[in-house]
Order: sequence, then C-alpha cells, then structure tokens
Amino acid sequence: MSNTLRPYLNAVRQTLKAAMCLENFSSQVAERHNKPEVETGTSKEVLLNPVIISRNDKERVLIETSVNSLRVSIAIKQADEIERILAHKFTRFLTQRAESFVILRRKPIEGYDISFLITNSHAEQMYKHKLVDFIIQFMEEVDKEISEMKLSLNARARIVSESYLSQFN
Amino acid sequence: MAFRKIDIDALEEDALGQDELDFQEIGEPRPPHEVEDEVNSRSQEVRFLLQRGNAAGALSSALNNPPYGRHLEAAKARNTQTVMEVLNSIKVADVAQLVKNLTFEEQDVLMKYLYAGMAAPEQNNSGVLLAWHEKVIDTNPNSRASLDLSGRLSEIAGPGCIIRVITDRRTV
Amino acid sequence: MSAELPIVNEFNQGPISCHAFNHDRSELAVCFNTNVVSVFRNAGAGWTLAWTLAEHDKPVTSVDWAPKSNRIVTCSQDRNAYVWTLDSSLQQWKPTLVLLRINRAATFVRWSPQEDKFAVASGSRCISVCYFEEDNDWWVGKHIKKPIRSTVLSLDWHPNNVLLAAGCADMKARVFSAFIKGIDKKPAPSPWGEKLPFNTVCGEFSNGTGGWIHSVAFSPDGDSLAFTGHDSTMTVVSPATGSVQSVRTPYLPYLSTIWLNENQIVAAGYDCAPHLFELKGELWDFSSSLDAAVKKVDVGFTARDTFRRMDSRAQSTTTNDTEVHTHHQNTINSTRVFAGTREHVEQYSTSGVDGKLIIWSTDNIAKGLANMHLKTGLVDCIYENDMSRKGDFKPGYVATKVDLSARELDKVLAEDVEVCKMGVRGGAGDKESVSIDL
Repeated sequence: MSNTLRPYLNAVRQTLKAAMCLENFSSQVAERHNKPEVETGTSKEVLLNPVIISRNDKERVLIETSVNSLRVSIAIKQADEIERILAHKFTRFLTQRAESFVILRRKPIEGYDISFLITNSHAEQMYKHKLVDFIIQFMEEVDKEISEMKLSLNARARIVSESYLSQFN
Repeated sequence: MAFRKIDIDALEEDALGQDELDFQEIGEPRPPHEVEDEVNSRSQEVRFLLQRGNAAGALSSALNNPPYGRHLEAAKARNTQTVMEVLNSIKVADVAQLVKNLTFEEQDVLMKYLYAGMAAPEQNNSGVLLAWHEKVIDTNPNSRASLDLSGRLSEIAGPGCIIRVITDRRTV
Repeated sequence: MSAELPIVNEFNQGPISCHAFNHDRSELAVCFNTNVVSVFRNAGAGWTLAWTLAEHDKPVTSVDWAPKSNRIVTCSQDRNAYVWTLDSSLQQWKPTLVLLRINRAATFVRWSPQEDKFAVASGSRCISVCYFEEDNDWWVGKHIKKPIRSTVLSLDWHPNNVLLAAGCADMKARVFSAFIKGIDKKPAPSPWGEKLPFNTVCGEFSNGTGGWIHSVAFSPDGDSLAFTGHDSTMTVVSPATGSVQSVRTPYLPYLSTIWLNENQIVAAGYDCAPHLFELKGELWDFSSSLDAAVKKVDVGFTARDTFRRMDSRAQSTTTNDTEVHTHHQNTINSTRVFAGTREHVEQYSTSGVDGKLIIWSTDNIAKGLANMHLKTGLVDCIYENDMSRKGDFKPGYVATKVDLSARELDKVLAEDVEVCKMGVRGGAGDKESVSIDL
C-alpha cells in the first residue's frame, strides 16, 4: 500500500470530524422550511470555507460545510481510459440507488465523481463517528474495487481473445 | 414576464451580503500594492533565513501577518508560495519539534496554508503537506492526549485547529 | 474513583432537543426533536410520562420552566410560542398563544429571573421580548431588531431582569437592554451601562476567528459574559475591566455554557463531554474534561497484526479507534443548572442528540483535580532522568510513550502501583517502551 494513502485518509477523517458539527437550523429565507444551507447557499453567513484535501492532482476530496449540512465530494483515481469508464459506471450504479445509501447525493459536484450530502438529521439518526468511518471506508474500498474490476476485465478479455484465436490454429 | 425572474430574496435588506461579511470579519481592505510589497519583502527575508539554515525563523516569519481579503489574489498566491518553499525545505524529522514551538495563532495560520496548498495539487507536493497536516494534529500539545478527571487518558486529536480553518473568513 | 458517578437517564425516544426541570426537580419537560413536549414526573422510581403538551406543528426548539410561577414556555420552528399553565382542578396544562410577530422559526426561549417576561430568539433576525398585558389577557412581544443580522441562536438573562445577552449566527454576541416600561423598575447601574431604554446595545463582541455564537451566559453576579463560538473558542468579557479573553481549544465547538461559580465555567457540545474552564489568576484557561470516560482496555496487538492492519486497511491501530468513550454518545446541545444557587451550582444536567439526559455533580471536580495533581507528581518522577522532556509535562498533558530502563520502571511501579497501571510493550535490551495508562 502506498505510503501517502494513510496520511491522506487520516487528513480526510480529521477534517470530516471537524466539519460534521451540524445543528438543526431552520431557513432564514423560506418561512417554515428547513433546507440544507450548503445546497441553497442563500444565507452567506451560515456557510463556511470549503476545503480541499488532495493526495495528488487526480485524487482529492472537497468538503463544504454549512450550519446544518455538509457536502463531501470525492474525485476517484482514474489512471487510464478503462479506469475512467469503470469509475463512471460504478458511481452511476451507486447514485441511481442513492436512497438506499441515505447520505449519497444524486448528482456529483462538477469536477468530482461522487458526492455525499450529510444533514443534521443524518447526524442525529446515526452516530457521527460511524458516518465518518463510512466515508473513509468508502474511499478505501472504491480504489480497490476499481482495480479489481480492471483486473477481472483484463482477465476476461484475455480468455475471450484466447478462445477466439484458438479457432485459427 | 421578467419580474418573475427577480430574485426577491437578494433584496432582503437585513440579510448579510458577502461584502459586508468580509468587511465585518476582515476589516478595511488594504491597498493591494502595499500588501504585495510586504509579501515580496517577506519572501526575500524568508529565503535569506532558509539559506542561513534558520528553519524555525523562516517558518514563523512566513506565517506572520498573512494577506487577507478577496481582492488580494496575487499577493495571496505569492505568500502561499513562500510558505510552501519553507515547508518543502524542512526535513520531516524536524517537523514535529518546529510545530510544537509555534504559537496557537501560528498553528492556525499554518493549517490554513496546508489546506490552501492542498487545494492546488498541480503546484504543490500533497505528500509533504499531508505529512505536515498529520504532525500539526498530532503535536498540538493539548490535543495529543489530555488527562480527564478520572485520570484516564482520553485521546482527542486536535480538530479545533481545523475548525478554525473552516470558520475563519480571513482565508489565505 | 471514589467520586460520585453522573446519573444517566436514558429515554430512548430519539434525540433530545431541549429540556427543563420544575422548581423541585420532580417534573421534567423534554422535547424529543418532535412537535410535542413530554412532561415526565419522578415519583422516586424513575421518570414516567405525565402529560404531553401538543400544540405546535413543527419541531419544538426550546422549552423553559419558570420555577416560582410554575409556568412552561415552549417555542418552535412553526414561528409560535405558547405559555402553559397548570389548571389545578383539572390537572391539565393549558396553552396560551403568544403574539410573537415573527415570520421565521423561533429558536430559543428563556424566562427572565423575575418571571414577568420572557425572550424568544428567532430566525427572523430579531428577539421578541414578551410580557403579559392585563387588559387584553395575552402575552405580547416587543422586538429587539437592530443590529441583529442573522438568526439568534441563544439567549441569557442578566440577574437584574433587564439586560439580555444574545448569541447570533452573524458571529457576534451582544448585550441588549430589554427594559419594559410599566413592568421593570429602573435597574441599578452596572458595568454594562446606566441609562437603559429598550433595545440599547450595551456591548457587541466577537471572538476574532469567526464562527456563529452558539451560547451565551452571564456570570453569577452578571458582571461578565461568557460565550462560545463555532470556532471552538470560549470567550469571557468583563466590561468593568475591559478585558476580552478568548481561549482557543483544540476540541470541537461548544453548544451550551453555564457558570458553576465566579471562577468556573462548564461548556459542552460536539465533543460529547462537558469541559471545564477555570479562572487561573487573571486568565481563563481550559482545565479539563469532566467526563470520567470509560476507556476500553487496550487488548494490545502483536507487531505482525499491527503491520497487517496498516497494510490492508491503511490505518494504524491508534487512528482506527473511533469509539466514543464518553457518557454521551453524541452531541450535547443543552446544559442546565440542576441544583444549587446561581453563585454555587451543585449539580447540572446535560441532554443531547443521543437521547440521554445526564445529571453531573460538581463536587467531583474538586476531588478530580486533587487526583490529577497526584498523577502529575508521578509522571514527573518518570521524567526525572530525562531532563529534556521533563518540561514537556504540565497538568493535563500526558505523553503516551516514555522510554525508561527496566530498573526505573520497577521504581515507578513500586511507588504507586495503585494509580499507575502499566502495559509493557515489547522492547529490545534493557530499554523498554512503556505506555502509561493512568
């Protein structure tokens, strides 16, 4: 395992811990509404500075915080064309099933592959530290998943080409 | 019907606008040329200190009085570059001790620059910044471990430093 | 530990958004993040539900119980507040609507010390100070508007019944005059000012590093104001001396604050534990966490395990430890005085998102601090023959790993086996790496 992954995940974990301080905050703009302020962006004073944590120029995490919600966007490593296709298919598969992941955002933020939207009610229903763990685990798994898929894709292609070419000898 | 497109929420008088927020948190904007001069002379000073091997001096003078405000993009970029030079030239083994000797104020500013550096991975070495990030969290003396009343160790890392990067509107 | 353990009440009905006790602490009003307030009664055998106050149609944000006049006031995100009075013949709580005249959520409510007024904070960038109008038989509100620019998050009344502190999402804590003609008598001059017509701004403070002001609290004598911001700072201002002190903490932000006495402040919030701040000489400083957290026994990993974990999960064993060791398992959002006087709080209660309500005793603090000094002595002795690191240690900080020879270890163990449990981790030669688990 490369030695920058651990500090990278560690930095993301610490930042998420700090950013996930959410409270119930009813909208100042729309009467009797309660909206994730990070999405509406209508009250400037309840938005905080977004931060980016990067491992290299391909892999980075954007964390945007507001008083009652938090948006985490992840750019997944894509070294070549196949990885790009796989990452796209994989994140598409997940986002189409967003409701079963609860905190997954249906559409990633531009420039990133997948986004999570955590609101104060999520932090109330679930343990905060478990939410952080979930995102960190997701980041660990997604790289592994994609490289595994790439391997099995190559293996499959090899078998197909072998059986195809074997007809000609 | 054009009037339907008017954003009436933007006309709310009491709402805090971005300019007002900046003014409230940062204060009167300083003239850009003055700030740029200051940043340039600091960059030279820091380089001089680094050449003489005074890493601690270089670090704290690089973190001193950073340019704040929205209109100072050039000066900010320049100052970030200065801080990055210092960070890159310090040996990993020395980081912990140096961070420990910084004041709380300087640690907060350092953290701001670490995130600013990581936001531009094309220009900066994220690996180095991540290593620094880890050290700042670890060596924050209060955060390393604190003794609670029962006398057991409660291990709390120092997220307070990160919180202040996120909340402080005086960005770098 | 000989100190009394905190009393944990678990309701298991969802997050507690606010709570309030009656005057003799036999009844308790709690809101479980819904639009109703549950009133529990304690007949010696735990809390049983006695009444449900259902009138709001959006989540209730705050509740307060007037001790002398036995009235409850609730406010909610539905922009309304109700004053509840107990009909003694029917034994039912009767609501009276309050004319708040606000058009956004009400966020916080508190009775004034004399119980003839209460203040409601709101998202419509104002505070409604409400008083009873005999002629019309209703509660009416008078607005404090200027210079509030965002949602008001918390309030606290000065003991003189006139001054009101407000913490606001526009990064400012302010002190206002809430003087109502015909109800209040002219207050005695205080460091906050002499002439105090309604809506006078007696002070406006900020903590310097941004962040919304989550909580405000007047000191017992009312001459100082403490407030906490989202930037994890605790600020104490005293207008008499003009001092403004901000304590930067390395922890997560605090959501609620109370003064235990003139020299001690307790703040609790996202770190799930109440933290103590103390006045040391002239300066306020963070003292310690007040939660005698139960830390799991470290099972200990073999080197092989450790490396395998680091390799497979990219985590070292220490950072993998994400359990919460405190009594509260999630954010604490409310802290109230439970027993004692304003000048000397004996017990206080905290409630949080984890649905627990915990009552803490303050005499633990004195005992705990004595205990801590004992341990300081011990650690000093470990450091004795390593002068370079001796200075490192101050009360409250502890190094987790210390190198010392086997002989020194014996010396330490012989001196105080009771306090010091030591886990010896494998080392080479006569040097052993020891982690001290005090």
